[in-house]
Amino acid sequence: MKNKLFYVTGTLVFLAGLFGGFMWFRPHTFHGTVIQSPELAYDFTLNAAGGKSISLSDYQGKLVLLYFGYTFCPDICPATLANVGQALRSLGNKADKVQLIMISVDPERDTPDKLAEYVTHFHPSFIGVTGEPEKLAEIAALYGIFYQKHPGTEATGYLVDHTATLIVVDQKGYLKLVLPFGVTVDEITEDLKYMLR
Amino acid sequence: MKNNLLRGFYGLLIILVASALAFKIFQPIKVLPRIRLAPAFDMIDQDWARLTSEDLRGYVVIYTFAYTNCVEPCYHINETMKEIQARLSETKLGNVKTAFVTISFDPQHDSPTALRAYARNIGADTQQWKFVTTPNESLLKAIIGSGFQTYYEQKPDGSYAFDPAFILVDGWGVIRGEYRYQTEISTADRILRHLGVLSQEVQNAAGPTKLAYEAAHVFLCYAP
Repeated sequence: MKNKLFYVTGTLVFLAGLFGGFMWFRPHTFHGTVIQSPELAYDFTLNAAGGKSISLSDYQGKLVLLYFGYTFCPDICPATLANVGQALRSLGNKADKVQLIMISVDPERDTPDKLAEYVTHFHPSFIGVTGEPEKLAEIAALYGIFYQKHPGTEATGYLVDHTATLIVVDQKGYLKLVLPFGVTVDEITEDLKYMLR
Repeated sequence: MKNNLLRGFYGLLIILVASALAFKIFQPIKVLPRIRLAPAFDMIDQDWARLTSEDLRGYVVIYTFAYTNCVEPCYHINETMKEIQARLSETKLGNVKTAFVTISFDPQHDSPTALRAYARNIGADTQQWKFVTTPNESLLKAIIGSGFQTYYEQKPDGSYAFDPAFILVDGWGVIRGEYRYQTEISTADRILRHLGVLSQEVQNAAGPTKLAYEAAHVFLCYAP
C-alpha cells in the first residue's frame, strides 16, 4: 500500500515537473509576427529636435521601437504611444535599454520640435523624427508602412491614414517583431521583457 | 529519497531534451521562413484602379516583375503564373485568399492601357491577377530593388536586364518565399507546395497549436 502511494505520488510529481519544465523551456509566444531576417533592418537618418540627425544605427545595443505616425493623429497614435509609454514605466530600470522613435508620416505639419513636444508627452525618452517627403515615403515603404492623406474636418484639417504597426528592431539591428495595432500594455511589456532578458 | 529526486530530475531533463531533438529531427510541422517585411506600395492597375499593399492584407500574394515590351523571360514568368492559378485547387487553400500581382518597372511605357493590352495578350485573368505600376520611378526602384530585392536595369537599347523572380508574401505583409533560380523541381511546383504549407499555417496556427508552429519556426523546420 505504502509502495503504491509512493509510485502514484512520484508519477504525479514527475508529470507536474514535466509540465513545469515544458512551460519553462517552451518558446516565448510573441504577441505579433516574428521576423527571422538575416539582414539588418533598413538604416535611415532623419531630423530630430534641436537640429540633430538621428540614425537607426545610432541605437544599436538598445531595442528600438519604430512607430510611423503624426502629431495631428486623433486616436490611433496617442493610444499606441500611451501604451508603449506605460509598458516602459512597468519595465523599471530596463526601460533605459529601449528607445521608441516615431517617424512622421506628415512632414508638412510635423516639425522636429513639434514632434519632440508631442512624443515626450507620452514618455520622456521618446524621440520624433521627420525629413523630406520623398525620403519618408521610401523609409515607410521599406518598413511595409502605407500612408495616404485623407480629408478631415475643418477643426482637424486633413488626416493621414497609415499602417499602425509597431516595429521592434533588436539590439543587434535586426528587425525582430511586428506588433499589430491594439496590443495591450501587458502584451508589449511581456514581449519587451523577453527580448531584454 | 534524495537519489530518487535526482533521478527524477535527470529523467525529466532527458525527456525535455529528447522531445526538442525529436521535434528538430522529425519536424512534424513544416513552415516557411518569415524572411522580411514586404514593401508597402500605392500603384495603379490595368483598369486605372488604385491597388495598395493595404488592399492585399489578408491575401497570400505572388509577385512578379516585368515590362510589357519583354518577350522571352516574361513568357516563362507568365506561363508559370498561369500554371499556378490553374493548379491552385491542388493545394489545400481552405479559406485562404490568393492574389497575383505583376509590377512593371517601366512606367514610362507601361500606362494602365498598355498593361491592360498586355494582360489580354497573354490571356491573364485580371480578376485575380493585377498588373500595376507607379509613375514615381525613384519610389518604384526602392520598392522593387530594396523592398523585394529584385534587380532591374534599363539597357542602352531600351530593353531591361532583370531578375525574373517570384516573391510569395503572406497576409500579414511578410515575405515567405523567394524563387529566383530554376531547380530540378519547377518553380510552379515549388510555389504550389509552399502555398499549401503556408495555408496550413494560416488555418491551423491558432490557440494551442500556435505554440507548435512557433516551435517549428524556432527550430527552422522549413519546407524544402
